[in-house]
Amino acid sequence: MLAVTGVSRSFGGVYAVRDVSLSVADGEVCGIIGPNGAGKSTLFNLITGHLTADRGEISFLGHRVDRLAPHRRARLGMSIVFQAARVFRGMTVRENVMVGMHGRTSAGFVSAALRLPRHRHDEREIAAQASSALERVGLSDWADRPADRLPIGQQRALQLARALCARPRLLLLDEPASGLRGQERERLAALVEELRAGGLTILLIEHDVGFVTRLADRLVVLDLGQVIADGPPAEVRADPLVLAAYLGQAS
Amino acid sequence: MIRLVAGALVAAVTLVLPAMLDDSALAVYILLGLAAMVTVGVSLLMGYAGQVSLGQGAFYAIGAYTAALLALSGVPPLAGLIAAPLAAALFALVIGMPLLRLRGHHLAFATLAMQLILLSLAGQLEVTGGDIGLQAIPQFSVGGLEIGSAAAYAYMTWAGLALVMLVTHNVITSRPGRALRALATSETAAASSGIPVGRYKLVVFALSAAFAGLAGGVYCFYTGYVAPGSFPVLISIQYIVMAVVGGLGTIWGAVVGAAAITLLVQGLDQLAYLPGMPSYAPSVLSYAVYALVLIVVVLFLPNGLLPAVADRLPWRRRSAPPAEIR
Ligand SMILES: Nc1ncnc2c1ncn2[C@@H]1O[C@H](COP(=O)(O)OP(=O)(O)OP(=O)(O)O)[C@@H](O)[C@H]1O
Ligand SMILES: [Mg+2]
Repeated sequence: MLAVTGVSRSFGGVYAVRDVSLSVADGEVCGIIGPNGAGKSTLFNLITGHLTADRGEISFLGHRVDRLAPHRRARLGMSIVFQAARVFRGMTVRENVMVGMHGRTSAGFVSAALRLPRHRHDEREIAAQASSALERVGLSDWADRPADRLPIGQQRALQLARALCARPRLLLLDEPASGLRGQERERLAALVEELRAGGLTILLIEHDVGFVTRLADRLVVLDLGQVIADGPPAEVRADPLVLAAYLGQAS
Repeated sequence: MIRLVAGALVAAVTLVLPAMLDDSALAVYILLGLAAMVTVGVSLLMGYAGQVSLGQGAFYAIGAYTAALLALSGVPPLAGLIAAPLAAALFALVIGMPLLRLRGHHLAFATLAMQLILLSLAGQLEVTGGDIGLQAIPQFSVGGLEIGSAAAYAYMTWAGLALVMLVTHNVITSRPGRALRALATSETAAASSGIPVGRYKLVVFALSAAFAGLAGGVYCFYTGYVAPGSFPVLISIQYIVMAVVGGLGTIWGAVVGAAAITLLVQGLDQLAYLPGMPSYAPSVLSYAVYALVLIVVVLFLPNGLLPAVADRLPWRRRSAPPAEIR
């Protein structure tokens, strides 16, 4: 499904991601952990195209994607929920989620301006999908509120609904549980499990090792931009290199 | 229901007014409508899509010169009027490709520079008539029916404005409109939803240019001449002031802002042309007023005139947000 091969990216001569290779199989939930500044979010940005790699190849569903613009990669089936909440201001919760349907519909400026059948057809489809995505993340009751006034937990859920609306093949979640309280966290875990059961491939960055171990089939550990461990969660957690990286950070 | 009544009222007033006004009042009414047309485009571009342009006056000029040149070379006026927004949009597409890579005030300055360059070109070139401009532009006519009276131009202007408002409304409340509003907040997040951000910015820039171009086309037939002096940088600033005063990101706000500023400037002009006033009084006064109005609005009515008034109407007063989201 996704193959990252020898990818590097540096900022001002300092590597944020260095020679990272990683492959994710169809239907797999792959957890990515690592200390602060390890390069996890940078790796996501390289995969989704918000940053371009200095070196290396990325292929997705058999396509070379490392030179494609982010919106093209999105249309191939990648959806990301960013670490920092990015809800669209001045739009309702529902409208925010409707944006997620952009890549799956086609009514453009002319159809919209002239209210052509294409527009009406797409609007119906978009509204239906947005409603079901809102329901799925439990935001139906908030649908007509301004999105930027939601508390952080709901903003996360909103982004998840927007991402799901695109019906992705690969879902990238960057610390989705940070800032969530117990109940919201459980709800998120249940949703991820449900998505996995539905066969969705997921890359999950998470600081809480317990949380990610529960959900992931596999753990990849990044430290100083490099992969230092990759395998089943139980093995990885016992790996001396991993322990050292985390202890090193703690001291 | 209230919207419907308000809409019907506005329509009735716009239909009746031209029949009641004298020619000098009609001139103000027409210029107001043309300014509103451009301002709706500014509101779409700035308020919804988050892109700043200090060069809308240039697109207005392109529309005016296009229609004028075509009419003077014998092309039917209607074809010239249709060509005006198309030429402006085409120019916006070409110039937008490099310019729209810039953001915020960089984009504002670049669009301002574009207008300055175009104006000086129009003042130098022979085809555009140099500083004197183009004169004796034929009256507008459709199929032999000549539109000569100011009242007829008033109807034409306000029909154009209605069209521009309808197109904007339809775009905003649909898939491409949501994409524009999304990229105004975050181009990254918009791209992640599959929105081709660069292309959408280009299209909305061209659309706002087309509105300005259409207004310019009507303007050239109404006044019968165009010259570089008709499109000073001040008008581009004026459109932004109008959009901000009325309320960015509202379609009716653009009209309200255009009306408020046009009437204000009209009043001031009477003052500035009083005997004994220096010759630079009109322009200095309008700059000062724009600055002042802008500051007052930004400080006290950050959402603009229309939303501020609308929120105070009893039937529009929204209940306080529920405790959970505070
Ligand atoms: N746009 C950028 N410009 C300069 N440096 C950057 C940029 N983005 C990331 N970095 C640097 O790259 C390194 C990796 O950052 P990244 O955000 O990928 O870490 P992370 O693993 O996601 O950390 P966290 O757990 O805190 O989210 C950091 O040292 C960071 O300062
Ligand atoms: Mg991060």
